[in-house]
Amino acid sequence: MTINPEMKYSRDHEWVKEENGLCVIGISDFAQDALGDLVFVNLPEVGDAVTAGEAFGDVESVKAVSDLLCPVTGTVAEINEELLDAPEKLNEDPYGAWIIKVSDVTATEDLLDAAAYEAFCAEA
Amino acid sequence: MSELKRTLLYEEHVKAGATMVDFGGWEMPIQYPEGIISEHLYTRSHCGLFDVSHMGRLIIEGPERVAFLQHVLSSNVLALDINQAQYCIIPAEDGSAVDDAYLYRFEPDRFLLVVNASNTDKDLAWFAPIVKNYDCTIKNITNETISIAVQGPDSEKILKTLAGVDEVTKPARNNLSTLMMEGHEVLVSRTGYTAEPIGYELFIKNEDAVWAWNRLIELGGKPAGLGARDTLRMEGMLPLYGDEMGVDEAGKPMPIFALALAKFAVSFVPEKGDFVGREALAKQAEAQASFKAKNYSPEAMAALPKRVRPIALVDRGIMRHGMEVYRNGEMIGWVTSGTMIPYFMTEGEGENVKLLDETGKRAIGICYIASDVPVNGEVEVDVRGKRLKAVIPSKHITNNVPPYVVPVLAKH
Repeated sequence: MTINPEMKYSRDHEWVKEENGLCVIGISDFAQDALGDLVFVNLPEVGDAVTAGEAFGDVESVKAVSDLLCPVTGTVAEINEELLDAPEKLNEDPYGAWIIKVSDVTATEDLLDAAAYEAFCAEA
Repeated sequence: MSELKRTLLYEEHVKAGATMVDFGGWEMPIQYPEGIISEHLYTRSHCGLFDVSHMGRLIIEGPERVAFLQHVLSSNVLALDINQAQYCIIPAEDGSAVDDAYLYRFEPDRFLLVVNASNTDKDLAWFAPIVKNYDCTIKNITNETISIAVQGPDSEKILKTLAGVDEVTKPARNNLSTLMMEGHEVLVSRTGYTAEPIGYELFIKNEDAVWAWNRLIELGGKPAGLGARDTLRMEGMLPLYGDEMGVDEAGKPMPIFALALAKFAVSFVPEKGDFVGREALAKQAEAQASFKAKNYSPEAMAALPKRVRPIALVDRGIMRHGMEVYRNGEMIGWVTSGTMIPYFMTEGEGENVKLLDETGKRAIGICYIASDVPVNGEVEVDVRGKRLKAVIPSKHITNNVPPYVVPVLAKH
């Protein structure tokens, strides 16, 4: 399992990275491995409001559906449309395959740095 | 909560990095590190290996074994010659299924009945008061042998190598043989639950379990878990007890003839006598025949209100067990099994079919819906609050010409 030191992590295994004033959100390597082969992604629409701790979409593996929980509160500025046709990118490149970018962030969950997240995963 | 049972291959699964889950009281591999999609595609193109040792294996022997089996199973047991197997259902008096099973005759004087792992105790309890009336016995030998399914285009070659023979069994499905493989006696059955045109199930002595599994891997088989087993059987429209058999989402018993394959599993020949469920099944069979002739009379619809059918999603999404199916706004049944299933693009026809490197995936499944929905009929599925368009095709694959399964993509 890899943990990218550039990102911060939620306890629900999403990663967060700041880029050009936007919060970029994806899922960790730990998450994609636990979920298994991803075959479908439901994404919000640009302009939708998202709330920290609440679902902003879901991912489906062959066996199950899992909510994507948003680590921040704000407005969806961009979605990664490439994932709609190629959800497997989340398995192949979890830190490259971002899911949404959020603007106007007003609240952020208490996030873990890479070292703390590694310890958190070790206990999971 | 009792402890989970483990098969003799448990350590091999763990060593291979499998994800283990509780399945019918057994700790079984749901997938190995390569994942369900890869395992599914490897079975379709090469050879998947499945540990099916958890399934219930029962030996029925004694002078009245045939009469007993004729009474409790749906099939005509007398039609089985030595070294033949048959699919059958264990009917309840109301014409629903207690379980489905496979009956094998490796020896003249005894039968092997293989039932679902999660139903083994229930089946034994069901048989107990009936078998008392017959001069025969049922012995649960589940823990005395193991069982491995060897499925896919390369399976025949692998078993020929292992047994040093030119013919593993007679060519057609449901043939059996007893072979020596590198000094170990193995019972071989040309059967399986993957819809592969070529596939075998092996019954192996406990002391040979690890040897057999590892030799099959060395010869080109790859372990596949319960996840791939489910997608493979779903693509082939093979029913699973609890999904397409048993009770529906509303708690009502599902008639056996709701399944298209009931006509192969249920026999009304006179020598079978008055078996459990016969009267109810005869009415259902009449209704199924009537639907086949496109006659949806009120009598037929009353005898068989819903049938088990393939379903393919047209809109983007994935169907899952329990989701409601609608026709023109009216709820007409449920999805019984569904997920996203991978397939190989193919070229050519019949025995010249070639699998291409390119793969696709499709959201397909099985549903239990109003019997009068025609082939290619349009329906909607309620996927977590959204009504998505779906179609009822005639099948998801063709598998009548070895060696490859060919996907049939729904027209819409």
